Amino acid sequence: MDISLIFAQFMSGLSRGMMLFLIASGLSLIFGVMNILNFAHATLWLAGAYFCYTFWSLMQDYGFGMWVSIFLAALSLAAIGWVIEVVLIRRVYNRDLSEQLLLTYGLILVIGDLIKLTWGVEDKFIARPPLVASPVFLFGVPFDSYFIFVILIGFAVAFGLWYFLKKTRYGHIVRAAVFSREMVSALGIPIPRIYTGVFVLGIFIAGLAGAVQAPVGSITLGMDMAVIVQAFCVVVIGGFGSLLGTFVGSMIVGEVYAFSILLWPQGALVLIFIVTAFILIVRPWGLFGTPMRA
Amino acid sequence: MKKFKVMVIVCSFLLIGGLITIDSSLAAEPYHLGVDLAITGTGAMYCKDGTDAVKLAVDEINAKGGFLGKHPIKLFIRDTHTKPDVAVREAKDLILRDKVRCVLGTYSSACAAAIKPVCQEYKVLHIPAISNSENITKVNFSPYTYQVVPNSYMQAKAVVLGVAELAKKKGWKKYVTLASDYEWGRSTQENTVQLLKQFAPDLKLKKEFWPRLGETQFTSYITAIMAQKPDFVYGCLASKDNANWMKQAKAYGFFEKVPYPGSLISVSELTTQAKTLTRGLIGLCRAPFFAHMDIPMMANFVKNFRAKYNRYPSDWAVMEYDAVYALKQGIEKASSIDTEKVKDALKGATIDTCRGRHYFRKIDNVLSCSSYIGVVADDPKYPFPIYHDLVEVKGPDSWRPEAEIVAARAAKK
Repeated sequence: MDISLIFAQFMSGLSRGMMLFLIASGLSLIFGVMNILNFAHATLWLAGAYFCYTFWSLMQDYGFGMWVSIFLAALSLAAIGWVIEVVLIRRVYNRDLSEQLLLTYGLILVIGDLIKLTWGVEDKFIARPPLVASPVFLFGVPFDSYFIFVILIGFAVAFGLWYFLKKTRYGHIVRAAVFSREMVSALGIPIPRIYTGVFVLGIFIAGLAGAVQAPVGSITLGMDMAVIVQAFCVVVIGGFGSLLGTFVGSMIVGEVYAFSILLWPQGALVLIFIVTAFILIVRPWGLFGTPMRA
Repeated sequence: MKKFKVMVIVCSFLLIGGLITIDSSLAAEPYHLGVDLAITGTGAMYCKDGTDAVKLAVDEINAKGGFLGKHPIKLFIRDTHTKPDVAVREAKDLILRDKVRCVLGTYSSACAAAIKPVCQEYKVLHIPAISNSENITKVNFSPYTYQVVPNSYMQAKAVVLGVAELAKKKGWKKYVTLASDYEWGRSTQENTVQLLKQFAPDLKLKKEFWPRLGETQFTSYITAIMAQKPDFVYGCLASKDNANWMKQAKAYGFFEKVPYPGSLISVSELTTQAKTLTRGLIGLCRAPFFAHMDIPMMANFVKNFRAKYNRYPSDWAVMEYDAVYALKQGIEKASSIDTEKVKDALKGATIDTCRGRHYFRKIDNVLSCSSYIGVVADDPKYPFPIYHDLVEVKGPDSWRPEAEIVAARAAKK
């Protein structure tokens, strides 16, 4: 097989994996720290895409419009995340998982309808600026230049999250809270504030992921449902709550999908689910998760 | 005597009053019309235009008193979410709760195929105006289902005639297909491949790609297709999948490298992607308004649609509008809103549509409407590209021979 062909497929898998990592990292972070399985994560991701469209509509005459819109959309979602945490999520920390799931599932319906009421049912399009509208050639292989930005953003988020959790004092507190809320609380550190911060950060990343997705194709209702399944596959493979696991899981899903399209197009999705099922059977806590969370 | 006169006057009033009541109750009997379209989900992009066109047609007919001038239409619109199970649930609800006599729809042939037996069971008319898999009418035939859209076979045949000509001219030898992995995509791809074998036997199908319905990222497909180095690609993607594909493939410079003839580029794509759509693409569509502006019904429809919604109607709008008027003409021919009579009246009926005068073929209730192929190009008359060098492939020249339908039904038994 031609090496340039393998490289092209690898790059498309990498871009797909990075897009999945951006979605799944916030989901995994929130679950890892707060033990909340946020079903509405992908719907908030979709809201990020719509917010990006709105900001872009206001600034489309400027070359920087799309870039600024992506950032503003992520910030808007962070604000929405803060409201959701303070008004709703905070009240179910100590409830059963089933009640948390019901609440976040209800959020899917509410946010979905709000999106429909606000932006209507028509598809939205963001025209990319000339810088990322044409292909670039990497070793003679064409590649969508926008995906270079996607890959860079993916690495930046991965590094930023790692640095935050491992190298900052606040990150150490967050990690400590994962293992013993009581101990952290006994040290006089307000747990609710920590949780709010983590939830807002997770939703900020979801909003960023949605905004980054927006210029790729059309923005449309229902996109979230297609994405959430693959995001769950990623966190199941990598291990819920593990940043490294989420990154590796995203790459596995992205590359398996890309290469199976090349070699066995009919079975691309099936292969991902086979890998997910296999991991669930032999290592239920995922590749990089801990048995405690199984 | 006086008592008798009073009695006569009172009885007369009662009689006249009763007659008026009976007459007005007859006149007021509304026609309940159901619409089962994808307000959300993959098909939302096309169906907004469809529902708007139905509303416009209903307003026009109601302004003249309704069907037969005395049955005002009461519209019930439901969202299938582009999911067959939801489409069935909503269709049943429309029939049982809202007592509709006809269900218009649907986007996604899977939805149309799913609600067809429901309509047949409850003896309700079913007019899928967007869904076009030929299986909707070819097999498991329902006398209650009428199709006003060129079906997947007709569209495939239209494309094949054009592609076979191009292949001969350009010396094409191998191709790949890219089709959405659901009923319409499978059916259209299969028909196209079969017909290409017949009309261009030298062409070899190298690989088939089946992205799932609702795919958001086509990058892996784009690189995998380019790796095959095909002489051309035949695509069967629709609605937002098609929009995503076109945008992403363009960003890869795909269309400059690989010819992509005969794929669905409806007026929706022409308008929404006006700035980005690659000029020179050879596309296929089902009911482009600009092809028939010489027909008064189309000209009026475009004028009224633009006045009401401030945009041009897409293929989907044209076909849904035609569906309502097909129903109207069926009712007029039957002189009744009784579903059995209307169903029988429509059998083989010739009707006026925005796309000209057509008839329903008796064997499968498919309208003899055309498919359209052309080259995407800018036009000073419109703020978006339209088709130039437009070729209209007539329904009777492209639909499946009746003998094959008979054979398919026999094989199904």
